[in-house]
Amino acid sequence: MDFRSEIEALSGQNTNLCFQCSKCSAGCPLGDKMDLKPAQVMHSIRLGREQAVLNSTAIWLCVGCETCSARCPQGVEPAAAINAARLMAMQQGVPPQIKEVDIYYRGFVDNMRLNGKIHDASVAGITQLLTGQLVENLPLAWKLFKRGRVKPPPLPFGGSDFRKVYRKSFEIEEGSAL
Amino acid sequence: MKYGYYPGCSLEGISVEYNHSMRSLFTALEVTIEDLPDWICCGTLAAPSISRLLGIATPLWNVAKAKQEGFEQLVAPCSACVYHFKNAENQVNTNSKLMSEVEAVLETSLTGLPRTVHPLEILVNDGFEERIKSGIKQDLSDLKVVSYYGCHISRPADVMQFDDPEDPQSMDLVLSWVGVQTLDWSRKVDCCGAHFSLIKPDIVVDLCTEIIESALEAGADAIVVACPMCHANLDTRQGEIAQKLGRSIDIPILYFSQVLGYALGIEPKTLGMKKHIVDPLPLMLEKCQPWGNGSPVLQEVSA
Repeated sequence: MDFRSEIEALSGQNTNLCFQCSKCSAGCPLGDKMDLKPAQVMHSIRLGREQAVLNSTAIWLCVGCETCSARCPQGVEPAAAINAARLMAMQQGVPPQIKEVDIYYRGFVDNMRLNGKIHDASVAGITQLLTGQLVENLPLAWKLFKRGRVKPPPLPFGGSDFRKVYRKSFEIEEGSAL
Repeated sequence: MKYGYYPGCSLEGISVEYNHSMRSLFTALEVTIEDLPDWICCGTLAAPSISRLLGIATPLWNVAKAKQEGFEQLVAPCSACVYHFKNAENQVNTNSKLMSEVEAVLETSLTGLPRTVHPLEILVNDGFEERIKSGIKQDLSDLKVVSYYGCHISRPADVMQFDDPEDPQSMDLVLSWVGVQTLDWSRKVDCCGAHFSLIKPDIVVDLCTEIIESALEAGADAIVVACPMCHANLDTRQGEIAQKLGRSIDIPILYFSQVLGYALGIEPKTLGMKKHIVDPLPLMLEKCQPWGNGSPVLQEVSA
């Protein structure tokens, strides 16, 4: 399956509906920090420029605020297409342009596998440790701790259905041709 | 109406005061909520970045569980959780192959799922106006706030099916029921940067600076929010915002549940108002006109 069809199948979006009005780029809160703006990502997907999209900062910087989807006059959800491109990049092991985001998402799901819920303090601490930002965040962590907003991790580990959902999702996904 | 309650991960950690204020508000309004047993994380943007099927099946595990428990609506105070529930449901409803795959993962049927809602939806749609107005114990008419909705109360509109995606009014409406003045401003649906607080805090500081500056320009005493990420970012990053702007910034960030609870006479401590980085109590005490002697707020302060 070609790149465009794969993104469309993963995201449920028809990129041919995009007529490049660029309202998505104009409204994107992270647009000024992206190399490809959302409308350019949409156009690149349509042109099949796989490497340009998967190696863009845009697919890592999207926080999923859905402003683009709310404003698209064609009813397209650019955020869904961008999320699909990030999924492809992470599954293919494309070196992430913003490595902190890759570390965070992988660590987040690892934390979910412990007992289904995440423990926000350990997700924050591990992410900041791995991205070299732990020390500068310790004063804030201490302020939150003093106010009773840092909780111990929920125990016991392994007591939830998430591991089963995780295992079966990958089994079925591998068995199903996209 | 049988309401299920899904607190979500943030409300059991950094946003524990949202959980406490939400639960005490439901108690004050005599609404029975039952916790969803054994709930799991909604997966947010992380699970769908690892596997598409996992990203859809994870939130729907919770909604399917709510159906088994017989809940008519599943209430989630975190607007991002509500978005991921509704989005996952929307995706399986428009893709029969995906629906059968998710049903195979969860080993259950996904027809007739209960509606997942943000608490604001219940307050506006399920007829709480009179109950709230008749329970007012504190006059908050001197309090001027801006309502900050952030991203997922109403966006994207076809998924959320609630309020206006560009100019939402639900929070302004419920705050007006308790007499709070809500001001017009232009940043009510802007993004705060969400989880980038942990990985790219400079981006969050940039985005929150614009939101807070705009709120101050509008003349707000406080910003009222309905999402744990919005609260965490606006409340915890004011030191860096002050550095960036070169002046002191000290604006309280309150959950709508805390403002409503305060108006209904719930003690600030129960509402978790002492847990914020920017202490909102001096503002509340300055603006609060007790409705009579023996106001619970004043009692606590004098004690």
